[in-house]
Amino acid sequence: MKNKWLISFLVVSMLVFLAGCGKSSSGTSGGESSVLNGGAGDKATELSYWTFVELHGQHFEKMLEKWNAANPDRQIKLNVTVMPYDDMHNKLSIAVQTGVGAPDIADIELGKFPDFLAGEPQLEPLNDVAEPFKGTVVQSQLDLYAKEGKIYGLSTHVGATVAFYNTEILDEAGVDYKSIVTWDDFKKAGIQVYEKTGKYMGTADTSAIWQASLLLAQQESDLTDADGKPQVNSPEMVRAMTMLKDLQDNNVISTIAGGQPDTEEAYGEYNSGNYAAAFMPLWQMSRYTNYMKDLSGKISIAPLPVLEKGMHRSYGGGGTGTVVTKTAKDIQLAKDFIAYAKLSLDANIEIWNTLGFDPINMSVWDMKEVTHNPENQFVKYFVNNPFDVLNEIKEEINLIKSTSASPTINNVLCTVTLNEIFEDGKDVQQALDDAQTQIEQELK
Amino acid sequence: MNTGTLRKILLFAFFSVLCLLILVPFYAVTIASFKPGEDLIRYGLNLRFDLSAMSFDNFVFLFTGEHAYFTWFFNSLLLTAVQVVLTLLVSATVAYGFSAYEFRGKNLLFVCVLLIMMVPFEILLLPLYTLTFNMGLMNSYSAIILPGVAGAATIFFFRQYLRGIPKEMIAAGRVDGANEYAIYARLILPVMKPSFAAMAILNGMNSWNNFLWPFMVLSDENKYTLPIGLKTLLTPYGNNYDLLIVGSFFSILPILVLFLGFQKYFIDGMTAGAVKG
Amino acid sequence: MIKNFLYSQKVAPYVFVLPFVLVFIIFWVYPLLSSFGMSFQKVTLGQEASFIGADNYTKLMGDTIFFKAVRNSAVYMILTLLILIPFPMLFAVLINSKAMWGREFFKSSFFFPALTSVVVAGTIFRLMFGEMEGSLINSLLGVFGVEPVKFLKGQTTGFVALVALASWRWMGVNMLYFLYGLKNIPDDYYEAASIDGASAFQRFTRITIPLLKPTTIYVLTISIYAGLAMFIESMMLWNGNNSPKNIGLTIVGYLYRQGIEKNNLGYAAAVGIVLLIITMVINLTQLALSGMFKKEEE
Repeated sequence: MKNKWLISFLVVSMLVFLAGCGKSSSGTSGGESSVLNGGAGDKATELSYWTFVELHGQHFEKMLEKWNAANPDRQIKLNVTVMPYDDMHNKLSIAVQTGVGAPDIADIELGKFPDFLAGEPQLEPLNDVAEPFKGTVVQSQLDLYAKEGKIYGLSTHVGATVAFYNTEILDEAGVDYKSIVTWDDFKKAGIQVYEKTGKYMGTADTSAIWQASLLLAQQESDLTDADGKPQVNSPEMVRAMTMLKDLQDNNVISTIAGGQPDTEEAYGEYNSGNYAAAFMPLWQMSRYTNYMKDLSGKISIAPLPVLEKGMHRSYGGGGTGTVVTKTAKDIQLAKDFIAYAKLSLDANIEIWNTLGFDPINMSVWDMKEVTHNPENQFVKYFVNNPFDVLNEIKEEINLIKSTSASPTINNVLCTVTLNEIFEDGKDVQQALDDAQTQIEQELK
Repeated sequence: MNTGTLRKILLFAFFSVLCLLILVPFYAVTIASFKPGEDLIRYGLNLRFDLSAMSFDNFVFLFTGEHAYFTWFFNSLLLTAVQVVLTLLVSATVAYGFSAYEFRGKNLLFVCVLLIMMVPFEILLLPLYTLTFNMGLMNSYSAIILPGVAGAATIFFFRQYLRGIPKEMIAAGRVDGANEYAIYARLILPVMKPSFAAMAILNGMNSWNNFLWPFMVLSDENKYTLPIGLKTLLTPYGNNYDLLIVGSFFSILPILVLFLGFQKYFIDGMTAGAVKG
Repeated sequence: MIKNFLYSQKVAPYVFVLPFVLVFIIFWVYPLLSSFGMSFQKVTLGQEASFIGADNYTKLMGDTIFFKAVRNSAVYMILTLLILIPFPMLFAVLINSKAMWGREFFKSSFFFPALTSVVVAGTIFRLMFGEMEGSLINSLLGVFGVEPVKFLKGQTTGFVALVALASWRWMGVNMLYFLYGLKNIPDDYYEAASIDGASAFQRFTRITIPLLKPTTIYVLTISIYAGLAMFIESMMLWNGNNSPKNIGLTIVGYLYRQGIEKNNLGYAAAVGIVLLIITMVINLTQLALSGMFKKEEE
């Protein structure tokens, strides 16, 4: 008898679930997939778009509305799918290579981009749609996603790396971040912060290479040589890592949960005020506004410290290239749309407004009404205006090359080498030599 | 107090402690499902029971929010149901073939059944993947169902069970003029009913929790099953712990209800492959 | 004619087992052979494969990360064997004793973790073993004045988390296996032993353990398999296939990394073949040593 009762209970509960599905499956977002209408009519072409950053979808939503209003005969519905970083790139890689199941449009992160350019790229060249915007956007950002003169991805931002300081902690320790010019200054300030507050000034990153890259860029060096071959044990890299290790030994920086500032564990740590500074590309701003709400009104942005006075104070870090796949339903439409959504002046203004990124159309950087709009959430959140800093370092934004060796270099450094140096205290030179050997072996 | 009672108390205390340890993760998730996802990121998953920080918000979001959770839930339900029914029918048929007849190659084939139980499925992932791709089955449920439709453990269990059914039944059927298939369908299948429950549970559990292969095959999020869907919530940029935790909590519920109702069959199913001493 | 043929007693059994034969050939034999073939080729999805001889295998033999993966899988397997066989056996005997209150309740609650999906369980354990002061395990350690431990960043501590996850999920299941085996030991044996003056410990070592041998072999076989083929547990615990210093990388994880993440199917196939050989050798040796084959022949 008991079983009969149970079965009927189960049947009823299942029916309830099913009823629930009918309602919720129609308009889904946050959950991962959603069809953006953007005021499109019935005749609109539906394009699919994969990304690994939910916010990118929001930007596309805005641009979609404008596009549909401006192009009544070429309207688009966008089916957005957000997937975790690794999964999205893996699935996309398989899909474009097999020609099955690929979306029309996709975001590919800079670190993974070379994998998609290997051999015969299964992506559409975008030169024709990018051409009209040449001269208005930073050329190096277009070149970043190109191979043999063909542009395959449209960049989202410059990613100028800056320093984010928690002024509350610094004030408590009696440190003025404006006086920090070199890493030596930073070290002195950090020692003071640790002594006064017991808190760390910054992080020793173990799962990302922002710090390594920015220190190489300051020395006009790179992770790869002129031929694109790895050189992770270069004297410049050794100098960079030795400097960071020294900071760690002096309790200026410390490893963080998650391994770098751009992880959920680290958001928690920062939000709780356990670390006073982060050196991250400008897009980290959106992480502050989204995930570190308690720090509102406490974070100042400043140029990076340098090894020696006069060195360039920034580098363009990270990035996402939006691509059109070879199997896209309506290639020309997809290409025109992403050019509009990523390269047009409107798009660049929205990229700042919605995403808090430093747009690749640098004329936006000078548009006071846009960059200093008091209603903008980023302007409200930060102590000083990011564009005041950006314009100051405008000419100093170096780049780290992205080559076919980059994904492997990235993987070895982020899973093995940086952990060995900062978690295990392995000798810097030794760790980097081992990394070089490992990378060469894997690339064979 | 005599030693018997003392022993009882000690045993009981020992197992109670062990049981508490085992239940800790469940308790932590249950607590967390009432707290904002932000807390989880900030303070970690812990045992703090703090009524002021707790609310039904996550549950409200689960049932009314805009997300695909119930699409996944329904997919999982559907896939599990189809997979269980098909696997059971096919495996029972195969098992009957093995137990009711003597035929050439029977032993060799049965060794193959046993062999399957020992080859790690994982090493076949890539060739299966290319095969699925070549057959045009990518992103389809068929690709998930077909490879497991003649389940080795299930066949094994049914064969053991069928050993207990007298051969005379089959002979009697033949005397009555029924053909071989009718004998199976009308005489044997009904007798096998009790063994179906245990296998339904075993296969159902595996199917409900199955991850790696469906994860590789499915790319359309509207076809995702619950474990895959839940995993997609683990993006550092989405901050979806609200849904993840309450969703995880909720995904255990149906199987828990089933378990409490049909405990005996769960246990029979799990021990199905175990050899008799 | 055809109907008569199909309905004959000679043909019917083949019809019955046909589904298995098809599944076996299409989804096991063919992939296995193609995997074997692929391991001698350079294969990229969507492109022509080229034969490269044993290059994949020679490269594999010099691949330190692969050996790290093999070591991880082996250590994991051994640890799970050491924990998930003796303890469940002991618990089964204790829970089976007449002096036990609430037997059914404990049986169910021990079994309960096995019902959760690896995705859910792995995520819960990842959060529990978080390195923050407030994370469950660290907050418990804090009570005893222990500093927060970065569990998932260290080899040993990472394995503590990994084995804890496995133990949590499989303790109850293995216990059930042993309980099932215990049911088949006649009570007379124990009574006779008691009369002969055997202590509880002697009864355990002289009667229970030998008579549980078939169950133990079964549990051993599936544990070896599960241990060597472990992947998702690690993937969920480290929220991806890239653990710091590859402390959580397993053989299947490496196969996945090469095949799916790096699109290097031929090399990944070689990894799979090596895994197959390792599993087969260990299991067949184990079965031979425990005399399973002799029993089958009888």
